[in-house]
Amino acid sequence: MEILSLNNEEQHIVLSEGEKRHIVLLNPLCARLFVQQQSRSELSLHCLFLPESESVSSADISIMQDGKECRTVMYGMALLCGKEQFSLETHVLHNIGGGYSEQTVKCLLADSARGSFYGELVIAKDAQKTEAHQTNRNILLSPNARMDTKPQLEIYADDVKASHGATTGQLDAAALFYMQQRGIALQDARRMLLHAFLSDVMNSVPADNVIAESFDRKFNSLSV
Amino acid sequence: MLDILNLHASVGGKEILKGIDLHIGEGEIHALMGRNGAGKSTLSAVLTGNPAYTVTEGSVTFRGKDLLAMSPEERAREGLFLSFQYPVEIPGVSMVNFMKTAVNERRKHLGLEPLSAAAFLKLKREKEQLLDISQKMQNRSVNEGFSGGEKKKNEVYQMAMLEPCLAILDETDSGLDVDALRVVADGFNKIRKPDTSAIVITHYERLLEYIRPDYVHVLYGGKIVRSGDASLAREIDERGFDWLEK
Repeated sequence: MEILSLNNEEQHIVLSEGEKRHIVLLNPLCARLFVQQQSRSELSLHCLFLPESESVSSADISIMQDGKECRTVMYGMALLCGKEQFSLETHVLHNIGGGYSEQTVKCLLADSARGSFYGELVIAKDAQKTEAHQTNRNILLSPNARMDTKPQLEIYADDVKASHGATTGQLDAAALFYMQQRGIALQDARRMLLHAFLSDVMNSVPADNVIAESFDRKFNSLSV
Repeated sequence: MLDILNLHASVGGKEILKGIDLHIGEGEIHALMGRNGAGKSTLSAVLTGNPAYTVTEGSVTFRGKDLLAMSPEERAREGLFLSFQYPVEIPGVSMVNFMKTAVNERRKHLGLEPLSAAAFLKLKREKEQLLDISQKMQNRSVNEGFSGGEKKKNEVYQMAMLEPCLAILDETDSGLDVDALRVVADGFNKIRKPDTSAIVITHYERLLEYIRPDYVHVLYGGKIVRSGDASLAREIDERGFDWLEK
């Protein structure tokens, strides 16, 4: 696993045939990342926005599956508060058939934070038997927080499996009351539910102290 | 244990409870019967502090304290337990973590030390064995993917872990077949201590064959219209509710 923190930088990476690589983009500021995948390569990518100080951060990530049977698994996560802003753009291009891609982006926005996710997914005409999924789920912790999300699927092949979904909402009131009825304080119940919400993304990150500390510090500083 | 005086409550501006008076002593089991919409579930929601409901008049005293002044979690820690009609699925929150937090909150309230991981596991295993619950179920997220019977059984398990003073069983029989109902009722009877009080909410007499009530009350139009002993439940089973609603 390699951790990159691109600050006003652009990086090009090529995954050669059969190569497996795990990249974590931690607190990118104004980052551009291009990844070109050759046949049967596997890319795991995390893009984590856990800013330490009030910031406007952005990442623009392009992934090109240029060989057959490539695999791309991407997770995005943003925890924002105050007047912090972030924007995440992803472009996943399936140029050759038989590939697989999966994107999961989860965001928590508190106070007056703002975020945007633009997820472009293109399956080219000849990229038959491609499987591609995209999910974006957001929780707004304050009425002043705002999230814009725009999934953009362009599918030109006819024999593919593709799905996408985007939701933005608040914590489940029924679950909160159930937990309170068992004696769990409302604030603790809210934190437990938020932890649960983010758990699939966090569990997918390989154990790393820098990331874990960064997450805990940010998560605990949010007024839930 | 519990004293309800002239309790009025509404939801969304509509008055549902129109003056409930009910006294529940230590160790007593009270059955609350009535049709859909009579106010049975509203009463359990109001007692547990569900924020969707508003109390407009009356008072409730629980173990000498003003129940209505407490937050939902304070009521639970004080020993009020609701077995939900529809237990909520909470994906991502493990049963173990959930239960451990709940048990230790109750212990803290009672002035007891929190349980160590080992002591908690021992208690958990003890209750699982008592209620014949698989450990596998307890390793999953709270109620996630549980069958209707498993969910109700899980409610009884939580009650066993928390040892409440007053348990409200809100239509524990709904959605259960006879076998599942017997398992859940047996579980309740096994874990109930002599001084544990209970309110058993149901449409049917069947549940009351397994959980014998000391008193039976019939709710109609937001009021208790008839109270009696267990024979009242049998009478309702034979004659329906019509004759009580005139």
